[in-house]
Amino acid sequence: MGIVGRKAGRRKSAGDCARKRMIGEQRGINLDICMYFQVHQPMRLRKFSLFNESAGSLFDLYFDHDLNERILRKVATKCYFPTNSLLLELLDEYPDFRVGFSLTGVFMEQCKRFMPEVLDSFKALADTGRVDFLAETYYHSLSSLFPKKDEFFEQLAMHKEALAGIHANPQVFRNTEAMFSNEIAWLAEGKGYKGIMTEGLESFLGWRSPNYLYSVKGCKKIRALLRNYKLSDDVGYRFSARWWSEYPLTADKYAAWLASSPGEVVNIFMDYETFGEHQWADTGIFQFMRSLPGEVLNYPHLHFKTPAEVAESVPPKGEIDVPNVISWADMERDTSAWLGNDMQRACFTMLQELEQPLKELQDPELLHIWRLLQNSDHLYYLSTKSLSDQDVHNYFSPYDNPFEGFINFMNILQDFKGRVEAMKK
Amino acid sequence: MLGWEFPPFISGGLGLHCYELTRELCKLGVKVDFFMPKSGKQVRSETPGLEIIEVAETSLHPYLARKSKSGGSAAEIYGWNLQNNIEIYNADAFATVSDFSKERKYSIVHCHDWLTSKAGGKLKAKLRLPLVQTFHSTEFDRNSSPWDYVLNIERSAAANADRVIAVSRRMANQVRRLGADESKIRVVYNGVTSGGFMNGNHHEAKNGKFRRGRKIVLFLGRLTEQKGPVQFLHSAKKVLEQDQNVLFVLAGTGELLPLLINLSIELGIVGNVMFLGYISEDEKRRIYAMSDVYVMPSTSEPFGITALEAMSSGTPVILSKTTGVGEVVRGALRVDFWDINGMAEKILAVLKYDALRKTMSPYAQAEASYLTWKRTAEDTLRVYQEIAIR
Repeated sequence: MGIVGRKAGRRKSAGDCARKRMIGEQRGINLDICMYFQVHQPMRLRKFSLFNESAGSLFDLYFDHDLNERILRKVATKCYFPTNSLLLELLDEYPDFRVGFSLTGVFMEQCKRFMPEVLDSFKALADTGRVDFLAETYYHSLSSLFPKKDEFFEQLAMHKEALAGIHANPQVFRNTEAMFSNEIAWLAEGKGYKGIMTEGLESFLGWRSPNYLYSVKGCKKIRALLRNYKLSDDVGYRFSARWWSEYPLTADKYAAWLASSPGEVVNIFMDYETFGEHQWADTGIFQFMRSLPGEVLNYPHLHFKTPAEVAESVPPKGEIDVPNVISWADMERDTSAWLGNDMQRACFTMLQELEQPLKELQDPELLHIWRLLQNSDHLYYLSTKSLSDQDVHNYFSPYDNPFEGFINFMNILQDFKGRVEAMKK
Repeated sequence: MLGWEFPPFISGGLGLHCYELTRELCKLGVKVDFFMPKSGKQVRSETPGLEIIEVAETSLHPYLARKSKSGGSAAEIYGWNLQNNIEIYNADAFATVSDFSKERKYSIVHCHDWLTSKAGGKLKAKLRLPLVQTFHSTEFDRNSSPWDYVLNIERSAAANADRVIAVSRRMANQVRRLGADESKIRVVYNGVTSGGFMNGNHHEAKNGKFRRGRKIVLFLGRLTEQKGPVQFLHSAKKVLEQDQNVLFVLAGTGELLPLLINLSIELGIVGNVMFLGYISEDEKRRIYAMSDVYVMPSTSEPFGITALEAMSSGTPVILSKTTGVGEVVRGALRVDFWDINGMAEKILAVLKYDALRKTMSPYAQAEASYLTWKRTAEDTLRVYQEIAIR
């Protein structure tokens, strides 16, 4: 996709607008552009010691508040504040501009604790009425993979409540790291969601394009929004890559690729931290975003839509069938980034085993801590995959290597389990 | 190439390095004459292209010779006898190589450690050959109060050589302290004998006589301050407070042995500590396979080949943060050598969590299989090519 556009390159001429109009007329169809950003900060664990006296609350014992605050402040300065105010400006300037977000509950909770003004700036975006917020599990967890789904539903409800705090009402569901299967879609449909987003993979699409809306096998109404990973990663990963033949990526070039894309909707999904954090300000990422809406709207057949609008805009083009869970992570695009080795599976099993005793205890603090420990990042750090992916895992990890990460996480889980068992007696 | 020891008579990384390096260099088409002191037994080369020439007679193992860290000048510790032997060896080696050079066209003189570098310096001047000096350790690493006699030799070796090879970046820093010019320093890491330490006898590993159902934590190295056996025993105490079913094995000998025995009694852990003394290559292989975790708590370790050996037999490894080998491996746990609690926590974690052992083991093996002596030889050859006379 986007081959014509890629060859076209940069151009500015008098007949430019007319030509852009022609592209739309020739295609005779509208193309929706759906941009959506994932916002998350894990609650990182402390370096836990078996030998130190453990005074104070478990919350203070297990979680590294200093580190978490430091990182939140850094990313807020580099990414959240500048990008939010840029988007607010763009929404003001272009009445047809739209974007979508998903904020994890863990992120919102840390904002409330350390920097409430970050949350206020998202609230300002929600109040424009043209920014859509997605549903997900409050704790950015793998609870959708638990055999019993009660916990998953509880975390969905908690997230919905937290979103209400910033005046948002989610219509589309996005599971942790885009984890998706027929079953997960069916669960989301049961909770009344109109759409569910995931990765547009050849493994289930075959020859079909991700640039359409699809229905899901076993479901009635819910629509799958599939991420166009090529066009998404052009911005998210390759934007500043000097080895890339398309470097540097300009907004008009990118808009031309979008304009010449086949299908009915292009879903551009990425980490929000792309702006200013993964791609630093000096790469020109902000200038790129500043120009993009104008460049896109120069093409009359291109229309920005929020995820909720996309989910209702066109009829589905076909049905997808995803029996096994997929995700948007690593080369494998499955759950192996979190559950790929024995260490990860041991921790996940332990987390699941704690559900029943904790629910019987009904201690809100313990329940909250258990859920914070479910945060998928704790498992992600333990991945031991091949070098190329390992680099991504290392980039995000607070540990020297996955083995150190496992020891810390498992020691905390064991300590926690011991306390839960003691409470039961 | 001038060395000091060669299998079967080795007391450390230097001898093993020379043995493996010469073999692998010959496979790469380099012809090596290896000069070393007479060992008493005939050391034979089994490698085409490698000739071993024994020169002067000496029975001393300089790195084993130090008696105690308490009292006496450094000279007394090493013994004047050693100094004398070194001088004789270097003079003999110089004369013999000079003789040989009439018949053979050498392109490079390569010396290992200070023991051989006096001859190296003189040979460079006489034969007008480029000189490579490898440092496996420096006097700073071996001795908390360095001996000037040795330091001076090391300083002039660093100054004389056209290229100085350090076995790690840590070692390169020490070489800088000796005054070596930055542009001459190259880091060439040690390797591990491929296949030599792969899984030992599993039956024995599970049912070894002294195991008695206990998990085994291994220390292997000279019993000197530098290797950290004292911290090892203090950590052992911490581990045993949580889990009684563990045996701590110390393989190797050295000046701290009496002190360590006393310490294990004082700490009340003597029933869970075993001193093996000096062990053979074969025993070494078996003890790696038997152990559940290998700990290298060195306060300063220029490289640390044994960590790679343990990894290549699939044994999880805990390294102090002050080792050279830690610069090249990622599949090991790391701890500060002074952090007794941290060391105990990591030992406990490896013993307790099957999932950790199961994940670390193949990863460590894979990593060790990549760090071969062939790589060491290739990197060394590249250094030769920078300066060799064609």
